[in-house]
Amino acid sequence: MPQNEYIELHTKRHGRRLDYEEKKRKKEARMPHELAEKAKKLRGIKAKIYNKRRHAEKVQMKKTIKMHEEKKTKQKAADTDGRFGNPAYLLERENQIRAKVLSNTIKQKRKEKAGKWDVPIPKVKGVSEAEVFKVVKTGKTKRKAWKRMVTKVTYVGDGFTRKPVKFERFIRPMALRFKKANVTHPELKASFFLPIIGVKKNPSSVMYTSLGVITKGTIIEVNISELGLVTNAGKIVWGKYAQVTNNPENDGCINAVLLV
Amino acid sequence: MAHVVKHITAVPSYKDFVDIVLSRTQRKTPTVIHKHYKISRIREFYMRKVKFTQQTFHDKLSLIISEFPLISNLHPFYATLMNVLYNTDHYKLALGGINKARQLIDDCAKDHVKLLKYGDSLYRCKCLKRAALGRMVTIMKGQSKNLQYLEEIRQHINRLPTIDPNTRTLLITGFPNVGKSSFINKISRADVEVQPYAFTTKSLYVGHTDYKYLRWQVLDTPGILDHPIEERNAIEMQAVAALIHIRAVVLYIADVSEQCGHSLEEQLALYKNIKPSFSNRPIVIVLNKIDVVRPDELSEEKKKILDEFRAEGEPVLEMSTMTEEGVMDVKTTACEKLLAFRVEQKMKSNKIGSITNRLHVAVPKKRDDKERPVCIPEAVLKKKKAMDVDGANRKLERDIEMEMGDDYTLDLRKTWLLQNEDEKYDVIPEIWQGRNVADFIDPDIMKKLEELEKEEEAREEAHYYSESESDEDEEMKEIRKTAKKIREKRTIITIESGEKRRVEKSRMPRSKKRTRSVAQLENELEELGVEIPRNSESHYGRAKSKSRSASRPPLKKKRDESVGSVTRSKSRTPRDKSGLRDNTMIRKVKKIAKKAQKPFNHQAKKGEGDRVILNMKPKHLFSGKRKAGKTDRR
Repeated sequence: MPQNEYIELHTKRHGRRLDYEEKKRKKEARMPHELAEKAKKLRGIKAKIYNKRRHAEKVQMKKTIKMHEEKKTKQKAADTDGRFGNPAYLLERENQIRAKVLSNTIKQKRKEKAGKWDVPIPKVKGVSEAEVFKVVKTGKTKRKAWKRMVTKVTYVGDGFTRKPVKFERFIRPMALRFKKANVTHPELKASFFLPIIGVKKNPSSVMYTSLGVITKGTIIEVNISELGLVTNAGKIVWGKYAQVTNNPENDGCINAVLLV
Repeated sequence: MAHVVKHITAVPSYKDFVDIVLSRTQRKTPTVIHKHYKISRIREFYMRKVKFTQQTFHDKLSLIISEFPLISNLHPFYATLMNVLYNTDHYKLALGGINKARQLIDDCAKDHVKLLKYGDSLYRCKCLKRAALGRMVTIMKGQSKNLQYLEEIRQHINRLPTIDPNTRTLLITGFPNVGKSSFINKISRADVEVQPYAFTTKSLYVGHTDYKYLRWQVLDTPGILDHPIEERNAIEMQAVAALIHIRAVVLYIADVSEQCGHSLEEQLALYKNIKPSFSNRPIVIVLNKIDVVRPDELSEEKKKILDEFRAEGEPVLEMSTMTEEGVMDVKTTACEKLLAFRVEQKMKSNKIGSITNRLHVAVPKKRDDKERPVCIPEAVLKKKKAMDVDGANRKLERDIEMEMGDDYTLDLRKTWLLQNEDEKYDVIPEIWQGRNVADFIDPDIMKKLEELEKEEEAREEAHYYSESESDEDEEMKEIRKTAKKIREKRTIITIESGEKRRVEKSRMPRSKKRTRSVAQLENELEELGVEIPRNSESHYGRAKSKSRSASRPPLKKKRDESVGSVTRSKSRTPRDKSGLRDNTMIRKVKKIAKKAQKPFNHQAKKGEGDRVILNMKPKHLFSGKRKAGKTDRR
């Protein structure tokens, strides 16, 4: 009755087939040929995926080979001539070049000039009303066309109640209402899933801002109390602005960068 | 473990898992969509993809969750064993993670389908679908470790032995290297590895043996050391799990020779320590390796310890798995003990009443004291004696082989029955005097051949092979003639009757030679002596071109009338006659049809064939709102 590690036990007792090693070696040797054959035969998306993987593998292989070669070849001994070389504790330091210092200061100045409202995406493509609003036909004979449905992602505050049907000009569908956004802190290089407080500005139109439409480039206010950031005065910051960096209606989520 | 856990399907790695699901989506959902299609169709297309992927993920994950055994449902022995081998907490966390992933994927699909409902272009729908599938894959990526762990467990579970915790079981235990595995190898077919070092056996092994026509399970456990339970490792814990949970006879094996590296005192101490874990179960103490040292050859101190073993109140047996001395004795004692124990247990339980009620052992009473021995007829005895040819004392070839050892060679000639006994070992040549010996195996072969030839000659002379001509008399010929006639007549009759009863079917038209033509008419009339005017003035000549204006000659030359084809409709059966056998039937059918029409005609009404719907979609029924009671009249 085969139980537990019976295969290992068998090899331990009787050994492997006599041609096991040879077959294994041959199979390994045949491997690149088979891979090449496969690469030739594949078509379409499968070929694309396969080749991408293969490429990554090759790069990795080359890297490791290089590493081994470096290990093998004798490195030139560091310049230990005491008279001209740096002492050991200064070896890591780079000598700052004067030109670099200058260029840095200029850059710094320019940045200051640009002002406070420098945002990650300075130029935002406009969004037309035709794109944002879909005409909803109403009336018994569907002749009236004064209603609009917002087809972009919106933020609707907590206390919002819909107006009666006759007076509701803009419909913001439930499915497109978002409450939270993925916000990246550019300095911490970390993302957080934070609740939205409001839409500060949609650069395309004032009406979008008032409706809470969120498109790419919109400035939103997010609740960052979770992060525990502190102001200069020592108070906890809880609201901060962030700019949306993706098209939320296409991705099904809001990605934003915190404006620090 | 096969009978506890049925079949667990292989758990693919994260990468394979995703590949399987996505390629399945690609294969099983439609793939062609264009942007000029109706938007609802585009939405439907992508929603289907998202939902399908979600469903596939859901099904696959559910399968994993349902197939892996629930620890709370297992026998406590298996529950403990799984805890020892796989760590229950880890196992539960892994399955919980899978469950959570399934839930997350469902939610994700729900959200994205909701968003897809408002997709207004193919591009947007496609982006949303992509995002949805991407999120699902990311969720699965988080489970890659769990999937790997579960796959390892699955493979291990498949290799666990099938232990039934409830049957008759002999459980072997003791220090490492005391001969537990060699004992199981001796009494069952289990092929457990035996090596001269400690912890050769690292897991439970099962073997089966027979005793009293019953099947007995023998359980080999890894050796256990004498230390507190917290310090025991996974290998020992398996043995402990078996000791605690399996109701079996426990065979505690001790090594008298102390070759295992543990003295007899230690072995006694271990026995005393682990005894509570298998209390109220039958125990047999076995002293192994008596081929090295007999118990009575031991020193006085050791003998005292053995006495202490005996003082425990359990039977102490001696055996040697090396020389097989006492092995069967140990097995029978253990089996008997367990059997008695099980019966006793059953007697104690409250179910026994239902069994004893049904049991009745009939013991016939003795009629008288007369002896009635077995009676074998005389003839049978004689026959039996006759069948005994060379007695039972004939030596078997195998015995001879055992006796002679390596010098033995198989001798088949020994038993040859020859006229002359001395010729048994003579050499038989293949070729003798230029002839093959095999050809002359039969000494009378030439004689037989001659006889055959003679017989053949005699046959030929008697015209045995020449064809015998049949000579029938006149009477026979006459009969054949009439039979032929009868057959012909019969075929004619069948054809005729078939013709009569044939159902008229539409047939392909056969072009017939037209019997009437102008030329023919002229000929006929001339023969009768009628003068025929040969100009176009004559009325039968004009009749041909009646429809056209007479002044103009036809543009094309007309086809010769005598060759003209007959219209198809003539040969085809008319619709009202098709499918009917003969005229009587046609008449009958017509009558029935007329009768059926009568009531309608009588009341000047429409018949079935007059049914028509003039407006399939009247405007007033298909526009505007439908509120209460407005479905059929608005």
